[in-house]
Amino acid sequence: MEQRLERKLRLIRDVVYSSLIKNYTPFPLDRKLAARWAEPLKVPRGGRTLIYTSYMYQMASVFKTYSKYADTLGSLASSQLLASLGARFVKPSEEDLERSTRILQNIYRIVHRDNADLGYLYEEEPYSGALLHELGFLDEFYEYGEKLRAYLRSKGVEMLVTVDPHTTNALNALRREAGFDIPFKPYLAYLKGVRGAGEFVLHDSCLYSRFLDMYDAVRSTLNEAGIKLVENPRITARASGFCCGAPIAPLSEELSEKIAEERSRTLLRVAPNTLVVCPLCYANLSKHCAVKDIAEVITR
Amino acid sequence: MSWSRIAERLSEVGYVGVEKILEEHPYLREAAERLREQKLKVIDNLEEYVQQTIKSVERIGGHAHLARNAEEARRIVGEIVDEDKLIVFSKTNAAYEVGLREHLQALGKEVWETDLGEFLVQVSGGWPAHIVAPAIDMTRADAAQTLTKVVAGVDENSSVEQLVAAVRSFLMDKYLRAQVGITGANAVAADTGSVVLVENEGNIRVDTVLPPKHVVVVGVDKIVPTLRDALDEAMIQAAYAGLYPPTYVNVTSGPSSTADIEQTRITPATGPREFHMVLLDNGRLDASRRKDIREALLCIRCGRCYFTCPVYRVLGKKWVSRRSPYNGPMGVMWCYITTGDPTPAAYCTHSGNCREVCPMKINIPEIIRQIKHEATKQLNHNKPNKT
Repeated sequence: MEQRLERKLRLIRDVVYSSLIKNYTPFPLDRKLAARWAEPLKVPRGGRTLIYTSYMYQMASVFKTYSKYADTLGSLASSQLLASLGARFVKPSEEDLERSTRILQNIYRIVHRDNADLGYLYEEEPYSGALLHELGFLDEFYEYGEKLRAYLRSKGVEMLVTVDPHTTNALNALRREAGFDIPFKPYLAYLKGVRGAGEFVLHDSCLYSRFLDMYDAVRSTLNEAGIKLVENPRITARASGFCCGAPIAPLSEELSEKIAEERSRTLLRVAPNTLVVCPLCYANLSKHCAVKDIAEVITR
Repeated sequence: MSWSRIAERLSEVGYVGVEKILEEHPYLREAAERLREQKLKVIDNLEEYVQQTIKSVERIGGHAHLARNAEEARRIVGEIVDEDKLIVFSKTNAAYEVGLREHLQALGKEVWETDLGEFLVQVSGGWPAHIVAPAIDMTRADAAQTLTKVVAGVDENSSVEQLVAAVRSFLMDKYLRAQVGITGANAVAADTGSVVLVENEGNIRVDTVLPPKHVVVVGVDKIVPTLRDALDEAMIQAAYAGLYPPTYVNVTSGPSSTADIEQTRITPATGPREFHMVLLDNGRLDASRRKDIREALLCIRCGRCYFTCPVYRVLGKKWVSRRSPYNGPMGVMWCYITTGDPTPAAYCTHSGNCREVCPMKINIPEIIRQIKHEATKQLNHNKPNKT
């Protein structure tokens, strides 16, 4: 393996793994800040059925630029100061936080209609471990998955409603490979009866469309909501639509950015406005084309 | 034209082009499903199929050799070539994998690639950009500039037609004088020892017939149970590569012979007097025993996964680079199998398109995840990097 790559993987593993084992977060972050979206809605703390954000909407921009934090965090990885010092500078912008607040509140309202007791763990919410899974740290991922399951069980959780594809896919992998036995469902399963408007090209989430077999289901839901999707089989078919580049950002921001440029250019040939179903897709594509998250264009 | 524009165009045109072929010839999907099952049988018992193939090749008057690694393959072919001086290659990735052309050149042999794309790569001193179309990243101007180094009658303004004609003329002289033709194989039939090769240029047909010695260098993963399966593999490879029907499908079963006079079989007749098959292991047998990566051996090298992959669309041949002649998602798997290097896997984004378009339904993203896992396990064994 290349030395440069080995060094980077080691840095990421040291930070992510130690942070998860100590704090249930993938890197030091301000958990109160991440949970503030729920306060105005007076979302119940805890409960049997939880909305599970896994920090994805709140921290999407941080995931995108993670590689720039890696060196500093890596040097703190074995230090007790990691959590306290790290959280000071690993922060999304206020604008990103406000947007994630609006999105998560809308998702909560939609799911709440069918789940009156829908709760949230606030600053006690654990991260799913998706980053370990996606970078190939499978031993660490399965080990953390055990810890995650026990933690959620200790909180009395019986059902999770996920809000993004990366968390859904990570839980799916844990269920398949590591005995994760807490049921979960993506919030997209609760969209019956929602209304929306606008004309978009849909940039599929790789994980929803090609790994979780939701390519058709997402389209049906959006069509039923009244959203017009413009398709081009060369660009938006299940096999021809491709990644936004975000998953590789922790390892190579440059490659991630170039893939985003490529994808954006193809999407713009289909329609001027792009719709996404994943916070990381938004973070990567929004610099290059006009992007909305599905939760920004639907209401119940 | 920039690489990203070339990749974008080929990706989109290639995707819908293959879909159209599959719609117009629905038997192709059925044949692909059947072929997958047949190839799985081979993976389950690869050692036995290798032995069966060796016996079949010898039964038809050929010579079979098993090379455990690249060094053995180079040595075996060097011995077969012996004192012969002029060698023509058809595009063979197994030969690339073992560094065969460079080895023979180092022995003082004159060696020419005869596939046009591969010829351009050879003359330019480059590296293949794609498994089916090695010079796909070259423009007409690049090709013209490259060819002026060795081919008479072309200049930087030559048209594509002029360039192709000049190369044809240049290579014709080599074909006529070549003593050895080295090819790969799309498939090898264990039951008959036959080699099946699919192509459009006609160079393989010449390489396999004109020189007195025909040497096939082929990975053991290309073995299929029967000649029917081998013909299916050629047909499916051509279709999923977007070239259907293929212009030529070549079947070679041993050296040329005739029994036209008093039913006495004489070798050679018009074609080669010697037929050699060098079966290359180089990590394949080990891979066949590993549950997590064994399905990579189902790959038929159509190259369809390349252009559906976002990483390949951006990095092109820089992704796997000179670690291996295999690139794109399949190349990540094959680089690991044949060299043990997991580095390219780390850059996979798990877009998942490769699995969608694979005719053998290989779960490429999952295999790459397992290779990534191998890389992360190495972190625990290697000492921390101080650089």
